[in-house]
Parts: sequence; C-alpha cells; structure tokens
Amino acid sequence: MDRLENAYGRLLEVLALAGCALIFAMTLMICADVFLRNVRIVPGLAGLEWANEISEAMLYLLTLLTAPWLLRQGGHIRVDIVLRSVPKAVGWGLEWLVDAMALSCCAVIFYYSARAAFASYSAGSLSIKTLITPEWWLISALPVAFLALTVEIFFRMRRLYLGPRAPRDDAVSTG
Amino acid sequence: MSWQAAAWLMLGGSTALLFLGLPVAFSFLAINLIGAVLFLGGEAGLVQLARNSVGSVASFSLTPIPLFILMGEVLFHTGLAVKVIDGVERLIRQVPGRLAVVAVVAGTVFSAISGSTIATTAMLGSLMLPVMLARGYHPTMATGPLMAIGAVDMLIPPSALTVLLGSLSGISISKLLIGGVVPGLVLSVFFVIYIIARVKLNPALAPAAAFTEYRGWEKLRPFVQYVIPLVSIFVVVVASMSAGWATPTESAAIGAFFTMVLATLYGSLTRKNLLAALRGTAAISGLILFIILGATTFSQILSFSGASNGLVELISGSGLSPMQVIAAMMLLLIFLGLFVDQVSMMLITLPIYMPLVTKFGVDPVWFGVMFLICMQLGLLLPPHGLLLMTMKGVAPPQVRMGHIFQAVLPYIAMSLIVLALVFFIPAVAVWLPKVLV
Repeated sequence: MDRLENAYGRLLEVLALAGCALIFAMTLMICADVFLRNVRIVPGLAGLEWANEISEAMLYLLTLLTAPWLLRQGGHIRVDIVLRSVPKAVGWGLEWLVDAMALSCCAVIFYYSARAAFASYSAGSLSIKTLITPEWWLISALPVAFLALTVEIFFRMRRLYLGPRAPRDDAVSTG
Repeated sequence: MSWQAAAWLMLGGSTALLFLGLPVAFSFLAINLIGAVLFLGGEAGLVQLARNSVGSVASFSLTPIPLFILMGEVLFHTGLAVKVIDGVERLIRQVPGRLAVVAVVAGTVFSAISGSTIATTAMLGSLMLPVMLARGYHPTMATGPLMAIGAVDMLIPPSALTVLLGSLSGISISKLLIGGVVPGLVLSVFFVIYIIARVKLNPALAPAAAFTEYRGWEKLRPFVQYVIPLVSIFVVVVASMSAGWATPTESAAIGAFFTMVLATLYGSLTRKNLLAALRGTAAISGLILFIILGATTFSQILSFSGASNGLVELISGSGLSPMQVIAAMMLLLIFLGLFVDQVSMMLITLPIYMPLVTKFGVDPVWFGVMFLICMQLGLLLPPHGLLLMTMKGVAPPQVRMGHIFQAVLPYIAMSLIVLALVFFIPAVAVWLPKVLV
C-alpha cells in the first residue's frame, strides 16, 4: 500500500509540474499577444486573438491539475482554531468527520460532473467564442480532477489512521 | 423555505463547516451541493453546479493572480530581492532604529515589484531579522516593522488579492490596484515615523550600531544597478495599464515576463530557481483558484434563494445611514479577519456587501480600498494572522509568539487610523485612480 501511495504521489507531482508549465506558457502567450497587437511586425497579424480564451482554459486546467497535489501537501487552507482548542484526540476525531465530508463532496461532484460532461458530449454542445470547441473538452477535466481528489482523500485518511492521534498541520491562510 | 432560513443555511452553514476545520474550498463545495439540491432543482441543480465550475475560474480577469505571484516568487528565488535591501540600506543615514527603517523602506520598494505578502515578509524576515537581533534590537522592534510592511504589500500593486477582490466584486481592477497606492505609502510613512519616535523615547529598543557609510558612486551603485531597474517593473506594469497598451490582466503578464528577463540579464535565473518559483506560484494560485471554483455557485444560490435580497432589504430598511452601514461592514470584516483567511472573507461577505454598495450609491473604489485595508489588517491580527505565522516560521527560537503578538499591536493601530482616514477622506483612496485611470 505504501508503494501505491508513493506512486500516486509521484503522479500528483507530474500533474503539478504540468501546472507550472501552463503558468510559464500563459505568461509568454499573453506577452506575445500584447506585443503583436501594439507592434505590427507581422503584416495582417494584430495580436493572437485566441490568447484570452486559451489563457482562460489554462487557468482552469491549472486549478484542477494542482488541487490533488495541494491536498497531498496539506496546502488547501482551512481554519483550525477549533481543532487546536479541543483535546488532541477530539481534534483527531474531527479530522475523520472533516475527511468524510470532503470525500462525499468530491465523490458527488465526480459523479455529477461526469454526467454533465457525458450529457454535453451526447448533445454535441459547442463552446462558441473566438474558437469553436466541443464543450465537453473542458468539462471532462472536472471529473478527472475530482476522481483524483477522491483517491487522495482515501490516502489522506490512511495517513491519519497511521499517524499520531492529533489534528494535522495543514495550511491556514493565503498570501 | 424562507429567505431567513436560506441565509442561515448558506452563510451559517459555510461558517460552521469552516470552523470545523474542513478546508475552505471543500466547505463552500459542501454547502453549494446542499444549496443546489434545495434551491436549484435537485439533480439538475447538481449537474448545473458542475457546469458552472468551468466558467468560475476560466475567466481572463483572474489570470493576474498567478502572474503577480510569479513576479514575487522569481525575485525571491533568484535572490534579486536581497539586492533591494542592499541598495536601500546604503542610502539611509544614521537615524534611530535605522535597520527597522531600512526594512520598511526596502519592504515598500519590494511591495511594488512583488505580488505576494508571504514572499515579502519571508524575504525580509529571513534576511534582516537575524541582523537586527544580533545588533541588540528588542524582538518586538525587530519583528513588528517586518510583518507590518509585509501586509502593506497587499495594498501596493501588483497584488494578487486585489485582483481577486476586483474580479469577485465587479469593481474596476485597475482602479483598485492604483487606489491602494496612497494608503499603502501613508502606512509606510506612519511606520517610519513611529519607529523613529519609539526608539528616540527608548533607545534600548534598537541600539545604534556603527555601519559603513559609503560615499559618492559606491553609495548609489547598488541602488542604480538593482533597485531602479527592478522598480521599473512596477513602472512597466502601471504604464502599460495607464497607456492603454495592455489591459490590467495583460500588464500582469508583461510584469512577470519583464521580471524573468531582468533576472536573466543579472545572470541569476537558473532552471532550478525558475522551477522553484513556478512551483511556489502553482501552489499559492492553485489554492486560491480552487476556492473560487468551490465557491462559484455560492452567491448565485444565495441570490436565487432570496437570501441576498432579503438581507439587503433588511439592512437598507433598518434606518441606518449609508456611512453607518459601511462602518458596520468594515467592523464585521475586521472581526472575520481574526479567524478567517482573506479569500473566505471576500466570498462570504461580497454577495451581500456589493448589492448594498450599489443600493446606497457608494463609490465602489472607495469601498474596495477600505475592504483591502481590512484584509491587510487580517494578515496581522492575532491569533491567526498569516504574517505572524510566517514571521514565527523564519524567526530564531528566542523570538516567542508573545513577542510577535506584542510587536504587531502598534502597526494594527496605525492600519486602523489609515482605515479611518480613508473612511472620512475618500480622496486618499480615489484621487490617484481618477488621475491615472
């Protein structure tokens, strides 16, 4: 089981690295768009008109790619004032309750987002902006991410079971 | 279901889940699932909730969040941030509490090129705190200015959280970014005056130590070589926005790109530290964006259930003047800041606050800047202020949490004074955006 958990952790690392690549690519793409729009060096090319739309998709994918990795790092922020003010064993018990709720949420969203993606695919729905793309392309990333989150919560619960009987030291705020 | 019950369920339920320790994003997801079943038509509502999630973060106005964070992370990981301190230090002559003053000035400069409060506080804390303590500074005099100026980073553009506030509230992002400049600078000036006055009254807090006084070009060299080019990033970001070459969103990408170009020119950008900067960016922006994804339908459900309208009507019909209502809103934000992080503060309050702002005809930029000051206060408020924890993380063991709590109190008081200043003299916040945007 340890090997499986470690292998899964490596997979999440790869997803996070893909997220990093998206940030880098997004920076370059938006700059190229602004440059080409203001300095007409290529005749007939006034910027990359699809850049905004692709950036939006990148932002969405970045969110989904990093979410399971952040959960592994304990990086999803929370308010732990109650967990810290009750006896450690009670805090540990609350962690189970919290994990059960998170697990249920992710499983439900996995199911309904998969249904939304399938319905969109079946109906042949299109996203019509600058680019015309099948709507299910983006929606289908949602069940994949929430499945990954569901699996990670199982591993998280396993670590809670094997670890000390106390609340976890997860992140508590953004910067 | 009555609007009162819906309000209790949505606002009370999400707050209860937050305090139970469920991560913020999952708290909003959970309450949205319940809300979708009750108010959006059961299963159809759940499918709709999933579809809405795509549009929630696939929004071009949110792209500055990772890009502004990337600027700060690149400067931090390449070590260029250190050069800012060096450049500022040589210019400041002997004044009471000199190193603390250097920290505030360098922190203000760094704020203008970094979009991350953590990067600023961690950088100043890890570099300046050991020096100040070694020179006999009292832990409260050594830590207080570093935390306070770290929080000011949120007010001075670029700031990822300001972009988020603009995006969620519908207030002009460029006006909000520029609106934070004057209050941020006023705070920095207050900090410097306070440090000098405090050390004059009690010199033992910051013993004067000998320092190398450079003359001529050597005094200016690091400032010209590093600080001016780095501050030009800020100029590029603001100028590209103001001149209409780029939208506020695009100017963030230009700023991030320019930061990487400068780091390359200085020979300090390696594949290793670029990856570290990108990982740091992915972690902070990923968690903010996932909360937005989780909370996306929250305000829609509040509105659909009648809770938003009910609360707005209740408050606007209470006989309180608009100024009293705004003051009460700010007090509630400060109270929330004691326990709740900045993103949650926005998500919980904005669905109710913004309709009230519109109804009362209040200047949204003025309101937004006060909102920012309250969030900045939240970074400093014990027991959970993020920057208190960041400082504890980089401070040596002799600096106790008690020192940190005590150290931050005068700076909280100064932030409250600036909040009152903006409240009574709105021009402090809205003058510069009117001139520049």
